[in-house]
Amino acid sequence: MSLPVYIFKRMLQALPLLFVISVLAFTMLMISPVDPLATMKANPSVSAAAIKAEEERLGLNKPAPERYAIWLANTLQGNLGMSSTGGSIAHRLFTCAGNTLLLNVFTFTFVWLIALPAGVYAAVHRGKFIDKLFGIITSTGMSMPTFLMCFLLLMLALATGILPIGGMTSPNFDDMDKLHQMLDIGHHLIMPVCVLTFIQLAGIQRQVRSNLLDVLRADYVRTARAKGVDETRVIYKHALRNAVNPLITLLGFEFASLLSGAAITEMVLGYPGLGFLTLGAVLTKDINLVMASLMMGASMLILGNLLADVLLKITDPRISID
Amino acid sequence: MGKIVRGNSTSAPASTANDPKPKILFPDPGPRKLVVDKDGNEMWQGRGEVGKFGRALRLAEFGAGPKTFNCWDASDATSHGIGLIQNESLVDYDPWSGKPIPRLAKSFEVSKDGRTITFVLRKGLKWSDGHALNADDVVFTYGKLVKEGFGASSARDTLSVEGDYPQVNKVDDLTVTFTFKAPFAPFLYNLNSVAVAPKHILEPLTKRPQEEFHKFWDINTDPKTLVGSGPFILDRYIVGQRYELKRNPYFSIVDKEGQRLPYLDKISVEIVPDQNTEIMKFLGGEVDLLDVKTVRGQDASMLKHKEAQLGFKLYNLGPDDGTIFLLLNMARRKNPKTGKYFVDPVKQEWFNNKDFRWALSHAINRRGVINNVLKGVGYPLYTVETPASLYFDKDLKPIEYSLDKANALLTRAGFVKKDGVLYDAKGNVVEFSLTTNSGNGIRDAVCIMLKEDFKKLGIKVNYQPIEFNTMINRIHQSLEFEGVMMGLTGSRFEPYGGANIWKSNARMHNIDCRQSIDETEPYLKDVRPWEKEIDRSLDGAANTYDEAQRHKLYNRFSEIIYDEQALIFIYTNVMLTAARNDVGNYRPTPYGSVYYTPKGSMYNLEEIYIKGAH
Repeated sequence: MSLPVYIFKRMLQALPLLFVISVLAFTMLMISPVDPLATMKANPSVSAAAIKAEEERLGLNKPAPERYAIWLANTLQGNLGMSSTGGSIAHRLFTCAGNTLLLNVFTFTFVWLIALPAGVYAAVHRGKFIDKLFGIITSTGMSMPTFLMCFLLLMLALATGILPIGGMTSPNFDDMDKLHQMLDIGHHLIMPVCVLTFIQLAGIQRQVRSNLLDVLRADYVRTARAKGVDETRVIYKHALRNAVNPLITLLGFEFASLLSGAAITEMVLGYPGLGFLTLGAVLTKDINLVMASLMMGASMLILGNLLADVLLKITDPRISID
Repeated sequence: MGKIVRGNSTSAPASTANDPKPKILFPDPGPRKLVVDKDGNEMWQGRGEVGKFGRALRLAEFGAGPKTFNCWDASDATSHGIGLIQNESLVDYDPWSGKPIPRLAKSFEVSKDGRTITFVLRKGLKWSDGHALNADDVVFTYGKLVKEGFGASSARDTLSVEGDYPQVNKVDDLTVTFTFKAPFAPFLYNLNSVAVAPKHILEPLTKRPQEEFHKFWDINTDPKTLVGSGPFILDRYIVGQRYELKRNPYFSIVDKEGQRLPYLDKISVEIVPDQNTEIMKFLGGEVDLLDVKTVRGQDASMLKHKEAQLGFKLYNLGPDDGTIFLLLNMARRKNPKTGKYFVDPVKQEWFNNKDFRWALSHAINRRGVINNVLKGVGYPLYTVETPASLYFDKDLKPIEYSLDKANALLTRAGFVKKDGVLYDAKGNVVEFSLTTNSGNGIRDAVCIMLKEDFKKLGIKVNYQPIEFNTMINRIHQSLEFEGVMMGLTGSRFEPYGGANIWKSNARMHNIDCRQSIDETEPYLKDVRPWEKEIDRSLDGAANTYDEAQRHKLYNRFSEIIYDEQALIFIYTNVMLTAARNDVGNYRPTPYGSVYYTPKGSMYNLEEIYIKGAH
């Protein structure tokens, strides 16, 4: 089977999967005891008639299957609908998704730029001081709760005054020229990118290290060494090439988490991303918004997996896609 | 005016806690003067010092940000707050006396029979697009837009009583009358939150379906299309990050040198996830002012320590108007749909027993709660009106913390304590569930203290916090709850704001809610005599402008609730604000700190300026 056909087939398979995900997500939202109009109901100056009108406007009094059908029909036509709190969803969702993407692209770049060489170095110099040092750093990264790390950095920002305290832009952002705007965003990104990099680094560095270690013990590496191939060539040409497969799968998952996976950091640091938006929407049971966000996340995961499989096929001729 | 608050509310230094009076930090400068410029425009004169023009004020606000920029469609505090900066009302509250004073109006007069109120507008008022603002706008707003329920219909409900919405008539270009069938005194207070709308923009929309009005000026709107009469108009909104308001050049208040206010060019409001971030931003110098509801009691001592070092000042405005209380479900009915009692009949008897409620009240160590949980920053509370209210009943005595009295009351009511466990007269073990909204450390700690206090009486309390929206659902719809600790915002001007909670047929009559989700009509056959008297007191006070009479009736209202311990009140917070020293003309007063954020305690927002070089 050729690659384009394979991709097309996978895309087709994804459709029923997305459908099932949407039904499950919708059902769970429906069952949750959260009252979407709680804030309104808790306000004595709102009359019962006003609440009824709002229920009608949002379609809350319709049966769940009917509401699902309306949602599905709208979504298929590319209309994400209105948020229960006003305003169109597409605008908000894409703004916030863009912010999260920016954050995660930086994180992604830093993580892989650091993790790959660090993993290789640690594997080659196994048991040496540097390997142990990396071990300590990654264990800390793996075990430290995200919110704690965010708080520590916030404290640092407060004490030193060199970093902004959360957010994405300064109050006078719109009065700046383009260059300063970029610098301002960069300045605000330092903290969240540090947190996310530190936390994600651990997994990938260890993965690289252990994969490479496995391969380095393999017979063909011994053979290569015995033949007198020089060490750099052994590691980078023979060993690393073979150690990279599980990492590509990992890369696929990383792709999926480009739009999610930063929710806690976003919440604590007040970064206006998708996690921040979605959590707020779940708490107020803003069905259209939650569904749009969940479906986007699910699509990204499916795409990421497909991407990983395709990449595997390209890097490893032994893998067959039939 | 009675929103349920999720807490994290305000509270101030321990030394003040024994003096439960609103704090006047700045002397009353006397009434505002009306000045007339050479073109005959009538403008109010600011009462602060002459400041400097320019610069921006940086604020922050926690929460999800605005939901609409249409002031008449706003049903959440943030959107309403922005709307009321962009648009002025006919009346305002005097920051020192709390009395209604004219704002867009030059004067107003209540007729002898109390049924007609006549407003005279100031000459030369303009909208931010330069269009004249006159009686037509007022008649359009109250006679059409609000009356017919465009946008959030709560505006209509606050201006009318029992369906008696006033007749709005234009007398001449500057004079409008509002005529009721019967006097309705809270009208003047409530009018502040319903701004005058621009007829030349909104009139076409009133000829179309109401759904379109809902989408007009929503959060995706281009701010350039917004028109208002307030000191600032929205300039920019960046989703989830910030909104910015810019100076309205047509605003009609001047300073002592006759210069048109406001001083500030811009106000920018950051949207932050929680209070901690907001306070950190303030400490880090990214925000100029922390308003009421942001500074909590627990932050007071930390902020006090940093005052001199960081160049800001902490202001203590005395008790808040919000109340924190224990609510027991006194419903005696069956759910008509399932045929089951809302409350277990055994527990119903306890909750409906006045001695039982008084015993609980005596067993609550309010002082202990304030000292241990609120770090000394709060005031004990015994009835519905807090000391911040104009109608605070001074004759009601504090309820003593006394386990002896509590035990005596329980014995009198037939309860028996054996081996540390309390049994009722029929031999049932006394235990009930208690809940509050989760994620609020203070509420959580108070509930644990209550649990310990009640344990001393032999009562077992099963405490379990739940999510806010779920809690509201139980209290308002399913009515399946036993005890809840929660808070409500109050009104320091007008106890009638509580009518939606206290009247026996009210939607939020949580002590015995008469309309569950499965009922189409309130069930009014089991109204208690004292509930009827509350109804009469509230309506009586609302139907007269005679202050002596109003005081008498509102005191009676407080007394009934106190006598019955209909809700068991626990404490109220302290109102605190903090502002950097370079914020000029910031002179908060208790009665001037009643606005929605971002205005909050800045009743004189137009006079606020930033000191220093420009």
